[in-house]
Amino acid sequence: MDSDCLSLLPAVCLVLADPKQSPPDDTSLEKLLDWFKELHSQSNGQVLLQHQPCLLEFISSVCTSKTTDPAILSFTLKLTGLLAATTQGFHLFDEGGLLVYVFELEAWGVCDLWEDASVRSGWLQGLLDMLKHQQALGFICGNGLIKVILQLQNDRSLFAACLANQLLVHILNFLTSSNMTSGSDVVGSSESSLRPDWVSASSEIMNAVVEALSSEDCPQVLQGLRLLSLVLSQCGEPIISTLWKDVLVPLEVLVNRGSESLIQTLITVLEAALGTPLLSQSEYKVEELLEAMLGDGNRKECFQCAALIVKLEKCPEVLKRKATDIILLPLQCVSTQPQAEKGINVVLKEQLSQKASCISLLMQSLSSLAQLAHTKYLFEDISVHSITSSVVLLLRMCSGHCPSSLIHINTFTHLIGCCKVQRCGLDTLGALSVYEENLDLRKDIFGVLLDLLQSPDSHATVSMCIFVYCMLLILAASDFLPSKLIDLFPVLEKRMCDLRWEVRDSTLEFITQLTAALISNSGFSEALHTSGMVSVLLSSLADAEGYVRASAVAAVGEAVTASFHQTVLASNSKLLEDALVQMMAILSQDTEGFPRRAVVQAFTSWLKGSHLITALESSLSSVLSLGGSDFDWEVKMHTLELAEVLMEKTLTCCPYAVQNFGSSEVRFPQALIKFKDFGLFDLLFNSLFDCDRPVCEKACALLVKLRTLTAETADLDHCVLVLNVCGNRWGDEVQRRYLNKQQAKASVCVTNGVTGSDEGTDCDLHCSKDISLPKILQILDLDDMQRMLTLSSDHVVNSPRSLMEDILSAAQQSEENIVDCY
Amino acid sequence: MPDIKVTPLGAGQDVGRSCILVSIGGKNIMLDCGMHMGYNDDRRFPDFSYVTQNSRLTEFLDCVIISHFHLDHCGALPYMSEMVGYDGPIYMTHPTKAICPILLEDFRKITVDKKGETNFFTSQMIKDCMKKVVPLNLHQTVQVDEELEIKAYYAGHVLGAAMFQIKVGSESVVYTGDYNMTPDRHLGAAWIDKCRPDLLISESTYATTIRDSKRCRERDFLKKVHETVERGGKVLIPVFALGRAQELCILLETFWERMNLKAPIYFSTGLTEKANHYYKLFITWTNQKIRKTFVQRNMFEFKHIKAFDRSYADNPGPMVVFATPGMLHAGQSLQIFKKWAGNEKNMLIMPGYCVQGTVGHKILNGQKKLEMEGRATLDVKLQVEYMSFSAHADAKGIMQLIRMAEPRNMLLVHGEAKKMEFLKDKIEQEFSISCYMPANGETTTIVTNPSVPVDISLNLLKREMALGGPLPDAKRPRTMHGTLIMKDNSLRLVSPEQALKELGLSEHQLRFTCRVQLHDPHSDTDTLGRIYTHLKSVLKSYSIQHVPDGTVIVESIVIKVTSSAEEPNLKVILLSWSYQDEELGSFLSTLLKNGLPS
Repeated sequence: MDSDCLSLLPAVCLVLADPKQSPPDDTSLEKLLDWFKELHSQSNGQVLLQHQPCLLEFISSVCTSKTTDPAILSFTLKLTGLLAATTQGFHLFDEGGLLVYVFELEAWGVCDLWEDASVRSGWLQGLLDMLKHQQALGFICGNGLIKVILQLQNDRSLFAACLANQLLVHILNFLTSSNMTSGSDVVGSSESSLRPDWVSASSEIMNAVVEALSSEDCPQVLQGLRLLSLVLSQCGEPIISTLWKDVLVPLEVLVNRGSESLIQTLITVLEAALGTPLLSQSEYKVEELLEAMLGDGNRKECFQCAALIVKLEKCPEVLKRKATDIILLPLQCVSTQPQAEKGINVVLKEQLSQKASCISLLMQSLSSLAQLAHTKYLFEDISVHSITSSVVLLLRMCSGHCPSSLIHINTFTHLIGCCKVQRCGLDTLGALSVYEENLDLRKDIFGVLLDLLQSPDSHATVSMCIFVYCMLLILAASDFLPSKLIDLFPVLEKRMCDLRWEVRDSTLEFITQLTAALISNSGFSEALHTSGMVSVLLSSLADAEGYVRASAVAAVGEAVTASFHQTVLASNSKLLEDALVQMMAILSQDTEGFPRRAVVQAFTSWLKGSHLITALESSLSSVLSLGGSDFDWEVKMHTLELAEVLMEKTLTCCPYAVQNFGSSEVRFPQALIKFKDFGLFDLLFNSLFDCDRPVCEKACALLVKLRTLTAETADLDHCVLVLNVCGNRWGDEVQRRYLNKQQAKASVCVTNGVTGSDEGTDCDLHCSKDISLPKILQILDLDDMQRMLTLSSDHVVNSPRSLMEDILSAAQQSEENIVDCY
Repeated sequence: MPDIKVTPLGAGQDVGRSCILVSIGGKNIMLDCGMHMGYNDDRRFPDFSYVTQNSRLTEFLDCVIISHFHLDHCGALPYMSEMVGYDGPIYMTHPTKAICPILLEDFRKITVDKKGETNFFTSQMIKDCMKKVVPLNLHQTVQVDEELEIKAYYAGHVLGAAMFQIKVGSESVVYTGDYNMTPDRHLGAAWIDKCRPDLLISESTYATTIRDSKRCRERDFLKKVHETVERGGKVLIPVFALGRAQELCILLETFWERMNLKAPIYFSTGLTEKANHYYKLFITWTNQKIRKTFVQRNMFEFKHIKAFDRSYADNPGPMVVFATPGMLHAGQSLQIFKKWAGNEKNMLIMPGYCVQGTVGHKILNGQKKLEMEGRATLDVKLQVEYMSFSAHADAKGIMQLIRMAEPRNMLLVHGEAKKMEFLKDKIEQEFSISCYMPANGETTTIVTNPSVPVDISLNLLKREMALGGPLPDAKRPRTMHGTLIMKDNSLRLVSPEQALKELGLSEHQLRFTCRVQLHDPHSDTDTLGRIYTHLKSVLKSYSIQHVPDGTVIVESIVIKVTSSAEEPNLKVILLSWSYQDEELGSFLSTLLKNGLPS
């Protein structure tokens, strides 16, 4: 326990209990409660209460005051629950009768404060937190609080109603476990299972559920169902089967009524029932109820039920199969041939004839199919091929192609240009692409995708879905792609000139992914360079939108990488040359962070590959210098990552080597000289004193690594690498730190009566312009810096002490800072 | 009765993250999707699980509408769309769509920097989320689907801020977002049609305040900056990249120009250029003055404000620096603050909100000693000023908007409970409309009385005109009879004949039959004759026929007489009539029950 905090606690309690003070910042109370929770989990409430009598005084004073702010009262109720969660804490409260005072409704029911939802939520949360032992249960049952909780179950506040449900389930659970373990609990053993008020409490709750389910009031039914599903999923026997027997009749009525607003919740209840032993006993009719919800596929609601049932994990196969058949109906109906029309039910026809229901039904059908396909839960006797064909047909209809044999002309008009159905259809195709049966449909599918891409009317979000699916298609069958590139590239080029930045950006992202995925496909790389695509990519680097420029940088980066995987051509080096010119311009001039970040990342990825080293040499120092002085700290971070790769590559296997360095002893000093030429040290030292913590942290880590290497190279000649510390910020800082160190050392020496120094050479350091790298690394206390940086939390101080100080200082501040926004 | 339901997940009786769910005409709409910056865990986002109850957000919501780019209104959007999962449409104005990702990115950058941050969105997520956004223009009616339409109105407050009218059939809701009713230095005042919505959801930040004019606050700000600079001090103004910064830049730039001041003004990030680009691009969203002067001089091209380099902080002499971030918790603003805090000649002006735990929050609360990393203490000697420049409508402005829109109901959000209570009473008194102020998680239900438009056939109108006089009085209700046809989502009132024809139906005749027994010692034929004579004398104005086949007919009423073989004096009179003649039929049956005159 932090003693600083505990010493501040009495003052904080006084401030919070003072009704004249307005409550602190809305987050402070929650954070304070978080701290109490943490304390509570570490030790226990009793220790806290015994050592901090101010807490009891605070709680008592808040609860007796009629002018308490609702926020403070809510906090107090929660705190009381937390502190009374141990039997000892509970007794401390109970001794003075405080607990009854805090939680008894009579105190609140008559008072206006109860009207505030936060007070009711606080009251419920307090009881929920307290209910960790039998005494708490006895308190709740003995004081008639169950009735209040049941009332709150239908509270107008969603939060309070939800908490009430949780609390009721917790009580039921507790009642059951207390019965089971009676005798084992030392404190409550003698009375646990026999207390009549407990028995009546559980029947009160269960009766309330039955009553709610039999009610005519829809919100009440909904709350009852929610509680029932919580009980089913969180309680054990005998609660579940006892309650189920009682609710079965009203539940059957509700299921047969088929009210649309209840479907979702009813399914949730049945889903919970599926996970219980109720499923295996036919008299509990779980399966029967689910089947009744599906009906014969001739009710409006059955489609929604089917969509929910196919998602259920533990659902019996037969039912899932039936639900799948219903799910397929709308799709089959739309794509059906006239001769098959007879079998289609009237409800479905009617639904499809109206635009809103037609679209929602088809979306439901498609997304359920996608889900089934993902889980590979399509049944063997359902033809994946025919489903896929139907989806393709549907997508064609969305693009305005009316099949000659179509019977539902209304449906067709509803679908034209409908992006919602297009998106769902594409998702479903994507999910179905894992099935081999569809291989022969690839050509058709690709045609539809090209059509959609070709159309300038296609919604931007549809384009995104097309690209996702195209990627799947191509990755699944790369042999199929080369022949299609001739068709694909012109369309992509067109979309890269789309008026909408969203489409241009998605297209570039797609090209980047495609290039990366097919890097070893010579046909693709060749097509990329010969089709004129590269020049369109290069021109996208000057796009008006920052996001697009960033994606263009990534695409060009991949194109350059791909080009170097192929035979060296004159066009390849031309591409790199052009790319470098434009990318350097972006890094130095672009007003947005994304493109600049992308440039540095492209360099990092080139450097990671082993082909481009020599070609990049001339640009690397500029990238390190520009990136290191960027005003966006993330650009700086990426630049440091680039520096890290550069260091690794140079110091380890050295693919970077333009000449053979020979042995590692020779190689290290050479590498250091190379680093100096690149300006790597300037970058690292400048970053070490940056105003953004992550940058300093990264630079510090790299310098520590460098220091280790320097130390490991035993006979490193210190004169090999000398850095000029004058005229730059980091140099001043190094000198300042050095002087501070010297002064500290001198004062220690004076105190100890020692004169002279064994570091005679250091004396002149502050006069010197040039200092060797190992010396600088030694002067900077990197370990200490690293420790400090790890400690720092960017000054959003999360410590409880800071929180309490803030509460106290806010209380002293007489002026109200008028609410403002970001 | 149809109703509109409103549930705030945020901004219900608080000024935290705005997120309000509205159900209207079977459509579910989310108004704003804001973030609370005071938490570093999931509590900063609205709890969407209450919305969906296990289903996906895309299935539940018909659309999301974002009123403006402030993070307490849009900060949770990438979390909702990319992390929770929402693929439906998101609507916002063009400037909001352009500026929103800058602020989200800005906040992401200062958030990921913090330790212990979990579950936060990435740059890619912000971009993917923005791709789902459908931008719209002011006064452009956008059809979300067949039934739902939305329309944006100018809200002032910040560049691109809009109020939204949401309409389903004849029911409508207006959501104001944040707005102000007085023009400021670069933006105009909010305006809306007299659209008489069923419900107006208004912010109420300054519900009880009649704010002093913004001019006074600006004068105060300039005075303080000027005095500090005059005495050789340095002024630090921590800001976020966009919004308040531009407003204050214009203010200082004009003042420097007018006073011919020489002290340098710096802006610490490169974002001014980007921000100014947007102000230039969306010049039509600024106020008239800026638009007018734009031709001669662009207000956003600053002569006196230069880019800052961190070495300038050590320069001697006065200067003014705008530095990010605005809460003084990291980066350049904190670095400069640390350098300048010890000098009482310097000044710090905080123009915005600071989260608990930040250096900004601490010094605004008057803390004079700050513990920096490594337990080193920093003495705060510089002067600290808090200045709110936020542009919200005050109590007067809110009442003005109600007068403009003439709503049938009012609902207050984005304000403190006590202040809302006061304004609620005032609104109910002055306008005699109901005013609600739900807390977060509480649902308010407003019963509406929607008018359902019905087309009336010309023939029916002509017939009614012929019956009821020359021209109907437009102001007086009049009863009309016809057949209502509901077909293809339209309602039409036509004459019954036309309805039958159109629907291809044949008319069914509904007849009532009745038996009356009476003792009459005559033959059946004679009894019928006596009935005929009796009716003739009673119903003088009716045509009564005695048909040879043994029936008497009055209008559509057919009367026959039979008797039983066992009891020939007991006559059974059969009456049958169509439902149009029900009155006459009932009358006749009663008449005959009373017997025939002897």
